[in-house]
Amino acid sequence: MSSKLLQTSRRSVLALSLVLLGSTAMAQSASGPIRIGMITDRVGPAKPYAEPVAAGAIFAVKEINAQGGLLGRQIELLVEDDQGRPDVSATAARKLVDAGAAFILSVSLTPATQQAQSVTKETRTPHMTPSNGGDTLTTQVDNANFWQTGPLASTQIATLLGYAANKNYKRVALITENSDLGQLTNRFFKAGLEKAGMQIVAEEVVPRGSTTAEPQMQKIRAAAPDALFMTGVLIPENALMLRAYRQLGLKVPVLGNYNLSVPQTSSVAKGLLDGVVFVDAFDPNKPETKRFIDAYGKDSGTEPYNLNGYGYDGVMLVANAIRRAGSTDKDKIREAMQATQGYVGVMGGAGAKYGFAPGRRTGFDTNGMVVRVYEGDRQGRVVHVGLK
Amino acid sequence: MNDFFELIVSATASGCIYGLLALSYLLMTRPTGIINFAVGEWGMLAAFGGFLILSWLEWPYAAGMLLVSVFMFGIGWLTERLAVRRLVEQGAPPLAPILALLGMLVVFRELVSVSFGPDPRPVPAAFGFGRLELGLLAGSYQSFYIIVITVLVFLGAWYFFEKTLAGKSFEAVAIDRRAAALMGINLRRVMALSFAAAGTVAGLAGILVAPNVSAHYLMGLPLAIQGFTALVIGGVGRVEGALLGGLILAFAEQFTVRYANVPPGLAMGVPLVLLILFLLLRPTGLLKPKEARS
Repeated sequence: MSSKLLQTSRRSVLALSLVLLGSTAMAQSASGPIRIGMITDRVGPAKPYAEPVAAGAIFAVKEINAQGGLLGRQIELLVEDDQGRPDVSATAARKLVDAGAAFILSVSLTPATQQAQSVTKETRTPHMTPSNGGDTLTTQVDNANFWQTGPLASTQIATLLGYAANKNYKRVALITENSDLGQLTNRFFKAGLEKAGMQIVAEEVVPRGSTTAEPQMQKIRAAAPDALFMTGVLIPENALMLRAYRQLGLKVPVLGNYNLSVPQTSSVAKGLLDGVVFVDAFDPNKPETKRFIDAYGKDSGTEPYNLNGYGYDGVMLVANAIRRAGSTDKDKIREAMQATQGYVGVMGGAGAKYGFAPGRRTGFDTNGMVVRVYEGDRQGRVVHVGLK
Repeated sequence: MNDFFELIVSATASGCIYGLLALSYLLMTRPTGIINFAVGEWGMLAAFGGFLILSWLEWPYAAGMLLVSVFMFGIGWLTERLAVRRLVEQGAPPLAPILALLGMLVVFRELVSVSFGPDPRPVPAAFGFGRLELGLLAGSYQSFYIIVITVLVFLGAWYFFEKTLAGKSFEAVAIDRRAAALMGINLRRVMALSFAAAGTVAGLAGILVAPNVSAHYLMGLPLAIQGFTALVIGGVGRVEGALLGGLILAFAEQFTVRYANVPPGLAMGVPLVLLILFLLLRPTGLLKPKEARS
């Protein structure tokens, strides 16, 4: 065989091999796992909230994979730790995008989630927070690829106000701590209360790391409010506030935000919670929630609570969108996610459904929150549902 | 007026916690010149020790507190042995042990975070939180308990430094290490004991404050800052300065919040303003070291 013919033959074989290799690779990527990214906080200030949400998400992935996966493929959950830091969160998002994540969940602090959006906006990667309640997450950055399915602070306050409406409160006090989310929640509570015509007669802040909240509670006592709204999100500081409240003999009704629903509150604030009213998104008597409690409990050996439910619903919503999209194409997923309507998850009271109104990317049912009351140290009955 | 006297008790109790942490700093700084910012994490360790022994195992309070104190004595000794001794003996720059101790701070915090998780844990109070009224003064049982224990600790520390030979050896090392060594004082033992005692004192602060704030893995840093501020205010030279600094800090904090007509955000800056003022105007603190007095 002439050398020219040999050279041509070699080139043909090489070209054919490359084509075959490429086809195999493409076939593998189409049948390989669907990568979903999750940015959590494993070491920073959001850890007490991020980790339970992440645990719920991990359980959801496990459940889907056990049932055959998504579009015939297993889900691979890629987890990054942003330490609650915005700069690290953006880097984590970039890493997940580069690793081929079709969707990213953010369960860390609100500012960190905000910063991660700079990457998902640029790369047009579908991105969602299933747990952050900050009202500005979908409005400060114009990112059509980002959704928020955690109950908004404005929904919480509206639900509590709906409960308080027939109580005839005229003069109210607010107490919070100085975390970012605590301050943001307080701001929205204050705006909502003033809009409802209530006078804020005292507004106090207990700094993180304080050893007592007595000075702040003394000022509140001196202002003689009709009710006291607790808007802080940190359990130790909330416990300090409740302890000072009991110590100083205050009797005004206490209405708390959803952070009082975290089970660890009743462990740390034992003996301090009786009669405290709080807003929650978890009705343990709802059928979907009962099933989740049972399944999660069997899998992990521990009873789940609301934070686990946020993560679970987050993954389920993403899976639902990908199923409807029929592929992992980001644009198709985005369209499918925005078209989500009437999804019943674990979170929310009876009748609550997730969905995104046209032009809006907040998906938690505004009528989906409930108000419950502590009976002793136990999270007791639902006393109010929805906004009215 | 009730508020005023209630606040005196509350501020005194908080000041005692700060004072104990300042004393912990002082016990190490005086003989070694080393500032150990891990004192807050020591307090955190003791708080979790309190959770384990008192809440989880439900031991009697006195036995649990004693066991935690012994544990923290060991932690202090171990910290010196692992993070400090070799650096000091090899003549490392003064910053080296401080950085090593900052590393220990992270190790302690992450160990606790991994072992116990991120959720805060309850620690019971010695006598509960019932209200006690002593004349015009009123506060919780826990507040009065903190005050009593702190007074006992400071009396013990005063007696140790003023009346015992071991205490005099600490003072000698603080005044002049080389001369003390030449006089036969075992520098290693003094350093080890200083860290062990500091660990015990910081641990006491942790287990005393934990019933109020719960045991959680992020509680160490605020404690360290409060203790350091109290140390700066009171002065690093005298045991009683640590308590004085703690009380001044707590009173300034709480009375500003209660009575000053400033927004809550500004009231929170009081400890930092005090720290800056003292560092600028009176860096040796309120009470000068004994050798500076004629």
